[in-house]
Amino acid sequence: MIAYVRNIQDACASIFDGMAVTFSHLFRRPITVQYPDRIPRRIQETLPDRTRGHLEVDLDICISCRACEKACPIECIVIEDVRIPKDSVAGVDGKETARVKEPTRFDINLYKCMYCGLCVEPCPTGAIRFTKEFEGATDDLSRLHLRFVTPERREVVLRKGEGYEREQAEKARKKAEAAAKPEGGKQVDPPAAGEESKEGDKE
Amino acid sequence: MSPPSLDRFRSRLAGTIREEPNPFGDAVFRAEPSDLRDVLRSLRDEHGFDLLLDVTAVDHLELPDSKPRFDVVYILRPSVGSERVRVQCRPPDEDLSLETVSDLWKAANWAEREVYDQYGVRFRNHPNLKRILNHKDFVGHPLRKDYDIKKQQWLSEPDDLMDEMRKLRGGAEGEESESVLLNIGPSHPAMHGALRALVDLEGETVRHTVPEIGYLHRGFEKSAEKGTYTHVIPFTDRLNYCSSVMNNVGYCRTIEKMLGIEPTPRAQTIRVVLLELGRIMDHLVSVAANLVDVGALTNYWYLFNERERIYDVIEALCGARLTHCYVRIGGLAHDLHAGFEEGVEGILRELPKALADVERLVARNRIFLDRVVGVGAITAEEAISHGFTGPCLRACGVPNDLRKDEPYYGYDGYDWNVIVGTRGDTYDRIWVRMEEMRESMRIVAQAMKKMPGGPVDVDDKRVSLPPKTEVYGNIEALMNHFMIIMEGIKPPAGECYGSIEAANGELGFFVVSDGTGKPYKVKVRPPCFYVFSAFPRLTEGGMIQDLIATLGSLNIIAGELDR
Ligand code: SF4
Ligand code: SF4
Repeated sequence: MIAYVRNIQDACASIFDGMAVTFSHLFRRPITVQYPDRIPRRIQETLPDRTRGHLEVDLDICISCRACEKACPIECIVIEDVRIPKDSVAGVDGKETARVKEPTRFDINLYKCMYCGLCVEPCPTGAIRFTKEFEGATDDLSRLHLRFVTPERREVVLRKGEGYEREQAEKARKKAEAAAKPEGGKQVDPPAAGEESKEGDKE
Repeated sequence: MSPPSLDRFRSRLAGTIREEPNPFGDAVFRAEPSDLRDVLRSLRDEHGFDLLLDVTAVDHLELPDSKPRFDVVYILRPSVGSERVRVQCRPPDEDLSLETVSDLWKAANWAEREVYDQYGVRFRNHPNLKRILNHKDFVGHPLRKDYDIKKQQWLSEPDDLMDEMRKLRGGAEGEESESVLLNIGPSHPAMHGALRALVDLEGETVRHTVPEIGYLHRGFEKSAEKGTYTHVIPFTDRLNYCSSVMNNVGYCRTIEKMLGIEPTPRAQTIRVVLLELGRIMDHLVSVAANLVDVGALTNYWYLFNERERIYDVIEALCGARLTHCYVRIGGLAHDLHAGFEEGVEGILRELPKALADVERLVARNRIFLDRVVGVGAITAEEAISHGFTGPCLRACGVPNDLRKDEPYYGYDGYDWNVIVGTRGDTYDRIWVRMEEMRESMRIVAQAMKKMPGGPVDVDDKRVSLPPKTEVYGNIEALMNHFMIIMEGIKPPAGECYGSIEAANGELGFFVVSDGTGKPYKVKVRPPCFYVFSAFPRLTEGGMIQDLIATLGSLNIIAGELDR
């Protein structure tokens, strides 16, 4: 009998308890925000610095070392490149790095990407990095297939590549001439070294 | 030093069983197929190894010792205690089969089915040897080394599960007019992910349950064999996605164990903080969803608010909310960000309020109590036989917790308690989780207080990328950088089982290395796989609505269950 009465008491009390708790939540600050458009700033601007959004590549400082391509577990990144005359670029932290290759194609498949960040870590110059952009919803998948090398840029790089070939051919010719004078028959690097190393890198 | 129980085992079985050298810790015994059952039974009955953690196999096709080809591995542990033992046995190639041990451990039922499914090793006298993760019409065994990872099969016919149901219902098919078959899931909001159960109902009482899993099977283990050791880390995020950082740690810790690496004190402490935050997140989801299952909807928002707060901190730390991919072999992706401490303080301040709110809402609530007390109860012996670990086993009163049994990352240096229940029912499972969150908060607070300084990555050329500034200037650092990226980290050849206490129980990784930069095999021991194998036992005889409440309290995460 006592238990029965206590049960009823408990049941009633728990209703009021529940109401009190729920009511108190009316006066608490909400923890979520309206998305997409109820806040004064773009939502991207409110995200933390380390946000792993869409990837972007700064081709001006990419040395086409393919570390990012290798580091990706699911082969989202495809790079093709040519040898260019050696120059150097300044990485994001200002350090100079030698550059001997430049990409003629740098594609990132954002619809495959899992935004894990493994490709960003090994980049020696900081060329590949995350943006805070995350709104990728689209009805056209090809829009998420980012091609960073524009056709125009590709032309420029290819011309640089031709410059390199000419340079090499010139060097080889001079070497051969120099070698031919005293004895001759010395082996020199084939002029198409750039093309060959590209094939080799793919494996 | 080996504990006494194993020494006794060694001396008893000297001669009949060979102990193999294992550089990575656990004792490994090699049994002949004819002795296998006796060896396992003796370990269970006389030496206290009563918990069968996992059964798996290794395909030696591409290893030097490829005859006989398959090596079946049984991993055992006492339900309370730290030592672990592996018994391995090679079935002959001509007749690829072993005697089942599913009568010794109920856990072996599903575990053996998985080995059969993935490797094609059969188990004689198994009560129900059919595929479990792959589709019933699948051809071949995907984890065999000669199964091409790119191969595709088109399978569309669902399994009606009537073969199993007919067995359970017995022969008298015609007299079953009273009972109704009901198919719940795989796409049903109450099933928490892609789980399916076919139930045989008499009125509202469940007479038989046939669960089916595998809807979210995406070949984690096969994919892991494709890339480098580092490439696996983002895949582990997708196991238990409610607490992905715990999977990261579990995996990386196993590889570090193989390499003989201890993370730096700072990395260890950060990992502890994240592990406990992960545990809290996982428990929040589990309890919140479970309360929704029994109709207490508002609690869900209160608990999810707190989860949101934790996500905010973790997002600022690693850049992602759900798939953290934050831990690296030998360290972490980043050091803590400025503001982490305040973030954690905020969590520690607000979470107790939310827990108190929920407690006030449900603790004395008649409806809630009637829905959960005594529902889906299981005894400790049965739970152990089914391979339960974690909160579900602790709810039965067994203080099984790797953080105490085999303290890692300095867990023994913190002041906290293992929470146990008494009845092993849904109520206990919820309350164990509620209290564990409080214990986790204590650990987080202590860990934050003692947070040591120093680097987060170990100084070991084999695993850590050299600092960027060195890569430019130093040819050796540059070479090292490219070796790690191009060829990957190379643990020494061998087999290693490593585990941590994840939110759902013991999360184990059994990794086989052949010395190259690619894992030869990565097997996960997902805690909820074994918990879910007891689902028929927990629900049969109960009401249909209790089935839903019980399922919620088990916290089955399909990503981890199906891999
Ligand atoms: S973020 Fe991860 S998945 Fe995406 S491209 Fe980089 S490595 Fe590949
Ligand atoms: S790692 Fe950096 S520098 Fe190297 S190819 Fe990728 S983006 Fe270019």
